[in-house]
Amino acid sequence: MILRELKTIAKSNHMKLFVLSMMFLVIAGSGCGVSQKSPSNHVMQASENGVDEDFDLFEEELAEQAVEIADPLEGLNRLMFNINDVLYFWVLKPCAEVYKAILPKASRISVHNFFHNLTTPVRYVNCLLQGKGKSAGTELDRFLINSTVGILGFGDPALDKWKIEPVEEDLGQTLAVCGYGDGFYLVLPLFGPSTLRDSIGMIGDLFLNPVSYVEPVEASVGVASVKITNKYSFHIGEYELLKQEALDPYVAMREIYIQYRRKQIQE
Amino acid sequence: MKNLWCVLLFLLVVSHAVAGDDWDPNEAEELLQTKWDVIASVLRNKDLDQKAKASQIDKIIDPIFDFALMGKLALGRKHWPKLTLEEREKFTQLFTKRLKVSYTEKIKLYTDEKAILKPAIQKKKAVHIPMELIGKEKKVVILYKLHHRDKYWKIYDVEIQGVSILLTYRSQFDDILSHSSVGDLLSQLEESQTR
Repeated sequence: MILRELKTIAKSNHMKLFVLSMMFLVIAGSGCGVSQKSPSNHVMQASENGVDEDFDLFEEELAEQAVEIADPLEGLNRLMFNINDVLYFWVLKPCAEVYKAILPKASRISVHNFFHNLTTPVRYVNCLLQGKGKSAGTELDRFLINSTVGILGFGDPALDKWKIEPVEEDLGQTLAVCGYGDGFYLVLPLFGPSTLRDSIGMIGDLFLNPVSYVEPVEASVGVASVKITNKYSFHIGEYELLKQEALDPYVAMREIYIQYRRKQIQE
Repeated sequence: MKNLWCVLLFLLVVSHAVAGDDWDPNEAEELLQTKWDVIASVLRNKDLDQKAKASQIDKIIDPIFDFALMGKLALGRKHWPKLTLEEREKFTQLFTKRLKVSYTEKIKLYTDEKAILKPAIQKKKAVHIPMELIGKEKKVVILYKLHHRDKYWKIYDVEIQGVSILLTYRSQFDDILSHSSVGDLLSQLEESQTR
């Protein structure tokens, strides 16, 4: 009975109902708009259980990017991290500072270019191993140009003049492309953050690095030290910054390394 | 007459719905470019001391970052609900301060480089805009992640060479909260501010 009455009312007032429902829609719609427009308050007003639209929108995206890394050797790694920390402040940093004071920036860039050119085999072979023929060609072009026009690689005319950018590939990345996971996190003496896979890759890459073949061993170590000192002369202050900003420098360094490598592997 | 009203109302509803989704990534790019120019000029200005620089940059970046959202996401769905309202307020305040310093200190390293904005990458609810900084020794890429809220574009994360500021804090907070209390986290945040 009631239903039938309602129907007749609805029929006779069809337009009025339509207008009313439209008004309701408008009000509801603007209501949503208003609730979104509470800029600084939206955090505090968030529903008590904390599950609200912000999380719905961004948690998924963050979860995609976040990388879990096993760290079964955390105790040992933390010890190594502290040893490297001391080595940095007592040895590497003072050396890099003196070096930086003696050599002008232009010369240090030349030294950087020289070593970068020298390690072309590492990048070339890894490009090939990853099936990146074009990138391998790029590395070969860069090597030929920089070794000749760039005078033994001290200059980088390939980039400066021809805009050919280097392709940073290494064996750790190649192994990752082949499907090998990180394994677990490792802090290496002197070299710092790494993973099981990247450590294996690094050893492999040593065979492609001409500096490894310098005889006697002392000379080889000497050359490698110059390379490292030169590199750090551009980065003095970065590690200090990391330590200053981090609540736990060890965890921050681990996270940064893993994210950085993930990005390299994706490229 | 009735029909006219209906049409008008219908138009109102439709225009409302459309306006809600109206976001133009070009606006975000312009915003980044102008802000970067101002920030770089402040950092390069040799007449200002460190304190003056910090306070000026503070004013520039305050409206373009969504610090409140960043705080929430840094704790994540896992930890955020555990905080009381007061704790949330305190955390957001401390974390905001820290993020400002963090961002400023990081970009200080690159203000001499030439900055080039690359085309925006559209995401579901956000826009990612890469900025290339070309230095002599290396090329550095800073990725800005922005979302659109209340008619404005706001940055909610910055990646430098693929390393996200947000995720780096997130893993540290997660690690701390896995073996200590929220109170400990807050006092650690407060302590390190005075360092």
